[in-house]
Amino acid sequence: MSEKNLTSEQEALVKSTRRFDLRRILGALFVVYGLIVGITGFVTVGSTDELERTGGIAINLWTGGAMLVVGILFFVWDRLSPVPAEDIVKSDEQVEAERAEGEAKVD
Amino acid sequence: MAFAPAALALSPAGAIRAATQGIRLDLTWVDYLMLLIYFGVVIGIGFIARKRVKSSMDFFLSGRSMPAWITGLAFVSANLGATEILGMAANGAQIGMATLHYYLIGAVPAMVFLGLVMMPFYYASKVRSVPEFMLRRFGKAPHLVNSLAFAVSNVLIAGINLFAMAIVIEAMLGWSQWLAILVSAAFVLVYITLGGLSSAIYNEVMQFFVIIAGLVPLTIVGLNRVHGWSGLVDALNKTESAELLHTWVGTGFGDESNPIGANWLAIVLGLGFVLSFGYWTTNFTEVQRAFSAKNMSAARRTPLIGAFPKLLIPFIVVIPGLIGAATIGNLLADPDSGVTYNEVIPKLMQMYLPTGVLGIAVTGLMASFMAGMAANVSSFNTVFTWDIWQRYIKKDMPDEHYLKVGRWVTVVGVLIGVGTAFIAAGAQNIMTYMQTLFSFFNAPLFGVFILGLLWKRMSSAGALWAYIAGIIAPTVVFIAYQVSVANGDPIFATATSETLYGAMISFGTVLVVGVVISLLTKAKPVGELKGLVYGVGKIDVTQDHVAGDTKWYRSPALLGTVALAGCVALYLPFL
Repeated sequence: MSEKNLTSEQEALVKSTRRFDLRRILGALFVVYGLIVGITGFVTVGSTDELERTGGIAINLWTGGAMLVVGILFFVWDRLSPVPAEDIVKSDEQVEAERAEGEAKVD
Repeated sequence: MAFAPAALALSPAGAIRAATQGIRLDLTWVDYLMLLIYFGVVIGIGFIARKRVKSSMDFFLSGRSMPAWITGLAFVSANLGATEILGMAANGAQIGMATLHYYLIGAVPAMVFLGLVMMPFYYASKVRSVPEFMLRRFGKAPHLVNSLAFAVSNVLIAGINLFAMAIVIEAMLGWSQWLAILVSAAFVLVYITLGGLSSAIYNEVMQFFVIIAGLVPLTIVGLNRVHGWSGLVDALNKTESAELLHTWVGTGFGDESNPIGANWLAIVLGLGFVLSFGYWTTNFTEVQRAFSAKNMSAARRTPLIGAFPKLLIPFIVVIPGLIGAATIGNLLADPDSGVTYNEVIPKLMQMYLPTGVLGIAVTGLMASFMAGMAANVSSFNTVFTWDIWQRYIKKDMPDEHYLKVGRWVTVVGVLIGVGTAFIAAGAQNIMTYMQTLFSFFNAPLFGVFILGLLWKRMSSAGALWAYIAGIIAPTVVFIAYQVSVANGDPIFATATSETLYGAMISFGTVLVVGVVISLLTKAKPVGELKGLVYGVGKIDVTQDHVAGDTKWYRSPALLGTVALAGCVALYLPFL
């Protein structure tokens, strides 16, 4: 099934499902954390407390930078391979079947 | 543990810091801000997941729609609760590299076995829980015992972990225990009731990345402070704790001088085979993550994908433990110092991490506390609703009924967990015993399943009595060990070695009782065993393949082989 054959209703569904893809949530969280930690490191750069604790590593700058990169990578991954539209539509169509499965009798 | 690694004051500053009382952390508003953001995102995920919950299948198994990378990370993360992290770091400080056994022999081979051998049976039979597989293969009596044992133990374990968490949070942040218990229970309650398993899984994946973002800097700084890996080795070699650097030294018969106090056969069979196969292949809290995968290929790859982070986690958990042994070993070994082995990670955080990274590490620990509890609650509500309520109390209701029951059961489960946590606060010994007892439930279940999968003659009565006997036998061994300890003449070298032998005794009991009773009773007709017993009927693992599942790097056999090779390779530097 190509994305062109979707009804406008299905298109809206695909869009709303992709908006909250876990990779975007993770990406946003890591970008925010990366900024907070990175800025903390930037503001306190060379502070004796940090250097004394870490033995001379500017750990906040490094960690903040790394988290920022990881966060951006999550967004790139999401952009490069979004959840296939057919998966989203299929799992929506399955609701009736799922309800039956939830009532399943096995004995 | 009988020995105490001597501490090395590597720098005056370190020695002074180590001397500050306890593990209280000096958090600033920046650190609290990150904690707050995390709590906000957790609840947000709950609301997002709620929009997609339209049936009980969505609530309990995420509508079987999850991609393999998510279920794989959730699979390993459901086990990466804070009690696991703190406990394994404590092992790192006490028994050193021997802790690798828990990962390389005690987890990864079992995960590979689950993906390659058992998952086809589970997923193809479309069972919705592990107890339901028991029902399909063996009928009602063993199913009821299994469901009750799972539901009761899981909700109580959730409470015990909640209490363990409250102690650490109180020590780290200064919150009172009841506040810590109520806050985390409330968040778990809200996000599981809203979004069910999807909420739990999304949060597990998120927790996985945040805890790594906290532990990697801790390990790097720690190694820097002890002058690198070679500095750590030198430091440990200078004291009597050089044995911390080995895994298999002193595990020969008659030479059980290793800190676990068991020989190689007990480690391989007890830990590697019975305990770990039991935990990873039959514990529904774990397996449920794979059941929620979108097709057979993704379900099989779930534990295999999880195996790779599992191979690497010891390096950010056990190595900090070793660093703790080298730098503050005296403090950890001294019962009056106010810092226990379990607190080695928080102590290193206090000593080494500045505001900023500290906030990430604290958030990661809090997140893994909640994720661990959520994993227990989300598997408890599934088994209670489908295997107990639907099967034995209210049959044949419309699906909406079971969805509603699932949400209410979540509330009740969390409340019982909170109650258990408060009871645990008053009776810590009883709780420790119960925790040990519950760990006996998986080994016999694995014994029953493996017999039932391989042998079509295995009967329902055989399964029931083998399972029950397999729970009673290690309980008796456990009590005998406790009595012998109290009398000052322990029958096993350590508590850990007791669990290894107890597990093997349990498994052996299952085999003997299962075979004898099955031969005396009537087996199920072969026609009803299609797809449930090896060689009866055929399972087509490629039937529901989607585009991309056939790519060479998604081959389960290849992933499994590489993971096992990784186990061998990671042992080599630490023989």
